[in-house]
Parts: sequence; structure tokens; C-alpha cells
Amino acid sequence: MTFENSTLGEILKSAFSAKVWGEMMIPALGATMYMLVMALIIMLIFGILLGDLLYMTDKNGLTPVPALNSVLSAIVNALRSLPSMIMIIITIPLGRMITGQGYGPNACIIALAISCIPMFARLVSNNLFEVSQGKIEAARAMGAGNFTILTKIVIPEALPALIRSFTVAVISVLSMTALAGAFGAGGIGHIAVQYGFNRFRYDILIATVLVLIIMAQLIQFLGDAAARLVLKKRHMM
Amino acid sequence: MSSPFIEIKNLYKSFKNSKGETIQVLEDVNLDIAKGEMFGIMGFSGAGKSTLVRCINRLEEPDTGDVIIDGMNITKLGTAELNKRREKIGMIFQTFNLFDSMTVFENIEFPLKATIKDKEKRKQRVLELADVVGLAEKVYDYPSQLSGGQKQRVGIARALANEPDVLLSDEATSALDPQTTLTVLDLLKKINREFGVTMILITHEIEVIKYACDKVAIIESGKIIEEGTTVEVLEAPKSKTAKIFTGVESSLAKAWEDKKGGAR
Repeated sequence: MTFENSTLGEILKSAFSAKVWGEMMIPALGATMYMLVMALIIMLIFGILLGDLLYMTDKNGLTPVPALNSVLSAIVNALRSLPSMIMIIITIPLGRMITGQGYGPNACIIALAISCIPMFARLVSNNLFEVSQGKIEAARAMGAGNFTILTKIVIPEALPALIRSFTVAVISVLSMTALAGAFGAGGIGHIAVQYGFNRFRYDILIATVLVLIIMAQLIQFLGDAAARLVLKKRHMM
Repeated sequence: MSSPFIEIKNLYKSFKNSKGETIQVLEDVNLDIAKGEMFGIMGFSGAGKSTLVRCINRLEEPDTGDVIIDGMNITKLGTAELNKRREKIGMIFQTFNLFDSMTVFENIEFPLKATIKDKEKRKQRVLELADVVGLAEKVYDYPSQLSGGQKQRVGIARALANEPDVLLSDEATSALDPQTTLTVLDLLKKINREFGVTMILITHEIEVIKYACDKVAIIESGKIIEEGTTVEVLEAPKSKTAKIFTGVESSLAKAWEDKKGGAR
């Protein structure tokens, strides 16, 4: 269904047809959502841990360990410098090691999580650094230990910014899941490549683009709303 | 005479600046502060007064020297002991440093979480403190809803939570207007009177010294250059810095005289 054999009207009509959505888009959407949510859970856990560690060990952090910080920082920067496509390819063997197969959604989740953990960790540590030194000193002066300061002061104070960073991360993971579709992960990306690209089904291409745009908009909207909710509660906007 | 409540002995502190040069911020500082005293430390910006007060609860680690509070050498304490002692050393700040993620109630409750495990008792204590600082009505507001004076009152309540014997004030009124400054100082005086808390007030405002302090030390380039009762120092200032502060020798006053002369 290209412009050579169909009119724009026909392509659009097919792009919104029950057949395309019922047989392809909805199941693909399910697979994409599954990969997205699983990858995000892993990213959230390890990204926050690594981000905290980057923050804590920095020379201006709560417990400076400059040597460890330099090593972590170098690793994070190195991983972030790789394009997501390369990251997906090099993490496929790792996915195979953990899940037993090098293709399919589960192998891909590992690849996705690993490629976005460094990015998210960096965002988290940047957000934590935004919390004023004065608040930390106030807590210190009250006799609070480093762990209490991190969990009870720094993270809650940075929460609106953390929510915004998470939103950015969710959208990049979404675009990565689409890319991973090209490497046998399934989902929306797979449909776009298999039908839209290999079989010239422009109607399906349009449908996939539409789904991705709507999802990204929705995620951004929810992220903004959540951040606003926290700020409103604190009467900070 | 019995030994002073707070003793600062031969305190030295230096920093490295961005060029790697060593800057001596405190040089052989010695101070004796009696129990229940309101002790002012006055100096210009960069004189080292903030560093000095931060050495007392070791927010800043002194290079050498001792800080002894009630017979306990603070500089020799390990982390756990230091944190325990800090619970009883209140501190208030120029920028208030309230936690925006918490209500007034939670801000005051924060230092109590380590010391009062029973939730009901803790709540009692928070409400009691809010009452002392006159914010009983505002306990469920967030800091961003408060005025500067109210924020500092929360800061004071929070600093008093664990019944400290020392309160450190790092330019606590410098961000407030003159009227609010007086009400905050009144509150500090009331607390000093009623609870016998020894206070060390860092300031560059002569009014704070005049209004609230029993004794004053003048600090310049990291050295205590003059010290005595407030009346002694303000009535007969010896150092140039003290003279400038008291207005005996003031380039501003001179400029003002010149300006008036020129207008005539």
C-alpha cells in the first residue's frame, strides 16, 4: 500500500481501519508496553541507586570518595556516549545469558534497561545536586546521619525534578523500544520495520508513528501533572 | 571562677582557594563563653565569623585547636558521638534552610524523630514548640506560605526541638527587615531567659549586638581583635573595625556629611 498503488485517502483509511488496529497495532502495543514497563522498573531501581552513588561519592557530596566517583563517572559517560542502536546490539549477548535467548521481549528488556540506566543515573545525580547545601547543613547540624539526609531530605526535596527526569527517561525508553523492534524485540517497532519498511505498508507506518506520538504526549502530560501536583501540595507554584 | 561553658582554644582553620593558595581563615581564636550568655561575634564579610561558628558544631573541621562545651571536647568526638551531641546544639541560618518538602509540623518534628520514638509524645512536643515561637496556627502550612520572620521562627523551633544548651545563630536576622529583626531577637532573648540556652550570635549588624548581646567579640581577618561586655566595647571601641561599626569612625557617615555640605 504505497503511493504508487493507492491514493492518500485509501492509505489513511486503512491506517485507521479496525483490521490494522485489531490484528496488529493493539497486540504490538501490548508487547511494547510490557517491554517499556519492565525496562523502566529495572531502570528505576538501578538508576536511582547509581545516581545516589554518583551524588554521595562526589567531592561535594555527602560522603566524598573521589576515586570511586571518578571510576563510576567514567563508566557512566562511556556508556552514555554509545548510540542506543549499538547499546542494544552489544547487550544482546547479556540478554541471552540472563534470559536464555537473544531475541524476543525479555532479552530486549535487559538491553533497554542497561542502555538507559547510565542516562537516568546522571539525571538523578544532577537533580540531587540541585538541593541547596544549606538544607543539608541544617540537617547535619541537627545530628542527622548521611543516610537519613539522603533519604529524608535530599530525595524528597528533589522529588519534582526527579519526576521530570523520569518522564524524560520514559520517553527515551519508549523510542528505544521502537528501535529494539528492529532487532527482534517485537512490539510497535517490529511492526513498523516488518510491514511499514519491508512490505511498503504506508498505512501501518502511519499507524505506528501515530501510536508512538500519542504515547509520548501522554507520558509527558502525566509526568508534568505529577510534578505539578507535588509542587502544588508544597505551595511552590 | 569556674571554667567557662564554652571554651574555644587556639583555633586555626585554613582553606585552599581555586589557585591552590592557602587562605588562613581563623588564626589562634580563643574565646570563653559563660553559661546562659548571649555572645555576639561581629565582623565584616569575609572576616571568618561564619567559619568560626561552624567550627563549634563542626560543620567545618578546624585544622587545630579545641572547642570544649560543658567539659566535652567537641573536636575529639567520633561521628556517632558528634551527631549525638549535635542534637543538643541548635543552629539557625540566614537563609532559614527549612525543608520545602515538609510542613511546619514536619520541619519541627524532623530533629525529634531520632530522640522521641513515641509518635503522640513527639506531636505534643512539636505543638509545644510551635506555641513557643508563636506559630501554633501555622503548623500545617508549608514553608513557602510563610513570611521571612515566620520562616525564621520555624527555624528557631526546629533548633530548640531537643532542648539544646547551645544555640548558634549564623546571621539569622540578616535577611529580615528591621522590624522583624527585633521580633526575632525578642524571641531569642525570651528563649535565653526562660530556657537558659547559651547563644552565640554571628552578625554584621550593630543593632543585633546592641539589642540582644551581653558580650561581644570583634573578629577581623580571622583574629579576635577586641572583646568585652557590649557596653564596654560599644562605648569605648578600641579597634578600627569596632569604631567603624559603632559609627565613631565611619566613611559612610563622612560621605553623608560631605553630601549634606554639598547640598547646602
